[in-house]
Amino acid sequence: MANIARLRVASELPSIPEESQFISLVPRSLIKIFPKGIARGSIAEIYGPRSSGRLSLCLQILAQATVQSEVCAVIDLYDSFSPVCAASAGVRLEKLVWVRSRGNAEHAIRAADLLLHAGGFGVVLLDLCEANARILNRIPLSYWYRFRRAIEHTPTILLVCADSIQARSCSNNQLQLKPNVFHWAGTALHRLLRGLEVNAILRKGTVVRPESLFLKMSA
Amino acid sequence: MYACLYASGCNSADLLELALEFSPVAEQTSGDTVVFSIDALRRLLGSPSQIVSELCRVGYQRKLQAHLAITANPDTAVLLARNCPGVTLVNPGEERLKLGPLPLVALFAHGLAIDPDLLQVLHRWGVKTCEDLAALPEQGVAERLGNSGIYLRNLACGTIQRPLRTAGIATSYEERLLLEHPLHLLEPLLFLLGRVLTDLCGRLRSQSRAARLLAAYFELEEKKDYRCELEFPVPLDESRTMLKLLQLHLERHPPEAAVVAFTLCLAPVEPRRVQDGLFLPPTPAPDKLQVTLARIAAMVGKENVGTPRLLNTHRPDALEMTTLAVQPATPIENNNPEILRLAMRLFRPALHARVRVVKYAPKNVVASGVKGNVIQLAGPWKTSGEWWTATSWSREEWDVALDDGALYRIYQESQSREWFVYGVYD
Repeated sequence: MANIARLRVASELPSIPEESQFISLVPRSLIKIFPKGIARGSIAEIYGPRSSGRLSLCLQILAQATVQSEVCAVIDLYDSFSPVCAASAGVRLEKLVWVRSRGNAEHAIRAADLLLHAGGFGVVLLDLCEANARILNRIPLSYWYRFRRAIEHTPTILLVCADSIQARSCSNNQLQLKPNVFHWAGTALHRLLRGLEVNAILRKGTVVRPESLFLKMSA
Repeated sequence: MYACLYASGCNSADLLELALEFSPVAEQTSGDTVVFSIDALRRLLGSPSQIVSELCRVGYQRKLQAHLAITANPDTAVLLARNCPGVTLVNPGEERLKLGPLPLVALFAHGLAIDPDLLQVLHRWGVKTCEDLAALPEQGVAERLGNSGIYLRNLACGTIQRPLRTAGIATSYEERLLLEHPLHLLEPLLFLLGRVLTDLCGRLRSQSRAARLLAAYFELEEKKDYRCELEFPVPLDESRTMLKLLQLHLERHPPEAAVVAFTLCLAPVEPRRVQDGLFLPPTPAPDKLQVTLARIAAMVGKENVGTPRLLNTHRPDALEMTTLAVQPATPIENNNPEILRLAMRLFRPALHARVRVVKYAPKNVVASGVKGNVIQLAGPWKTSGEWWTATSWSREEWDVALDDGALYRIYQESQSREWFVYGVYD
């Protein structure tokens, strides 16, 4: 009887998360959203419309990884990554590999594949924002499974930043962002942008309740 | 037993040649002094006195005027050859006796790394000769003079035993292969390149060296030459990695005609020695990373892969791409701030925009992928710089919130009065 009690229904098996042997990456500024951190060897997605703080959050995660002396990579589909912003967010640029695929989604996916299989990276950011839905729909789902297989049991995190969900069932964390309020300071003639308030909802992960984040303008 | 030849004013190459005729293990301590081992000669020539006479005979034939000393250790041999004229043969155990009358200056001339002020200290103590120094108690010398004092005392006693520092054999890291027939295809050529590279890397490893640069020189059928140089970010000694990098280069830039001969040359450097920490994050393997980045560069272009480096200027988006230098991870204090910084996603190049301006302020913005009425705005902020160069800029920047729900930075160029969308806050 004791053996029978340990049996599980087969359909439940994939939903049992496998414990990673590596310590999760815990960005201090995102502790409210990821209280247990971002699991190593998994795919995390951050998605939302323009000005929802997608890139800001990705840079925070990269900053956390690079200050821990991890080598990270950014695969930039539309050459929109700003090293100046990254440096002001705390990213150590000397620990970063930047790949610009100049709008070629196939090259971006292949570059991600090569980097993930090379191993040794802390975070690999695949930035697919602003890409046409037609182009993104052409990426076969099998690629995301391939990525998941490449990084499992490794300390690498594949961070996907896009307008909508891409990796679907392959990702462990899906964070949806929505712009809420733009904060300004001063009167009409001498106005200054102070920051941006966004709503963050963790669709897949431990916490489901929405959190409000304030993204402060760099000095 | 060791023999030392000292000949002032003699050609150092002649002296070394004479020593190498008797022993393959020879050390040239200076231009006029050579010390070599004679242990193996005892079975060939006989006793030390017979070796001395043979050495004198060969030296006389070569018209070399040199002083010779034979002792049980190389340093004593050098000291006696340099300070005792003629032939000095010392039986084992008699070194201290023979070295005794030598002045202390001789020891200081022998050991170049010894502080010369020590000689004055010893003179003030009344120590003038090697015999005086050897008579001092070892513990007392160690307490007062440290390691240098102990070394000098052992030198004066003739008890320092050390292996000879022989000069390494010069190794060539260049190989030329003349083909029997011209090769048009890359695959058979790579097969031959791989064979030569394996040989060259074997030579590198045997000398504990690695290569930072691979130069390939191809002689082509139509009497043309093709040369390529691959510089590695970290020293390599793996032929497979080098071959892969060479293959990726040749696939991108193939030779114009069939190859009839080629020469490969490696520039040897000290290998990369890294001690990784047990609790530090892993970094990509440098050789594997080079191949990966070369593969990506072959796909997206070399200028699109690298590590960004900010330039020392206020010019917007001023940066250059450099090669990633994989350094071992170092523990760094986690000073990542808890404040979330708002980042900007750039449009490269900036989007040309049509902007409707009312009372000097933008009211409507239309560009490729951007369209909307301005709800809120901040600006203008005037920026300019580098007016003395071709990269000068002068513009008025605005932060605008459009009714499409996004926040943009737009600017108007001061000279052309044209509007552009620089980026979107994201």
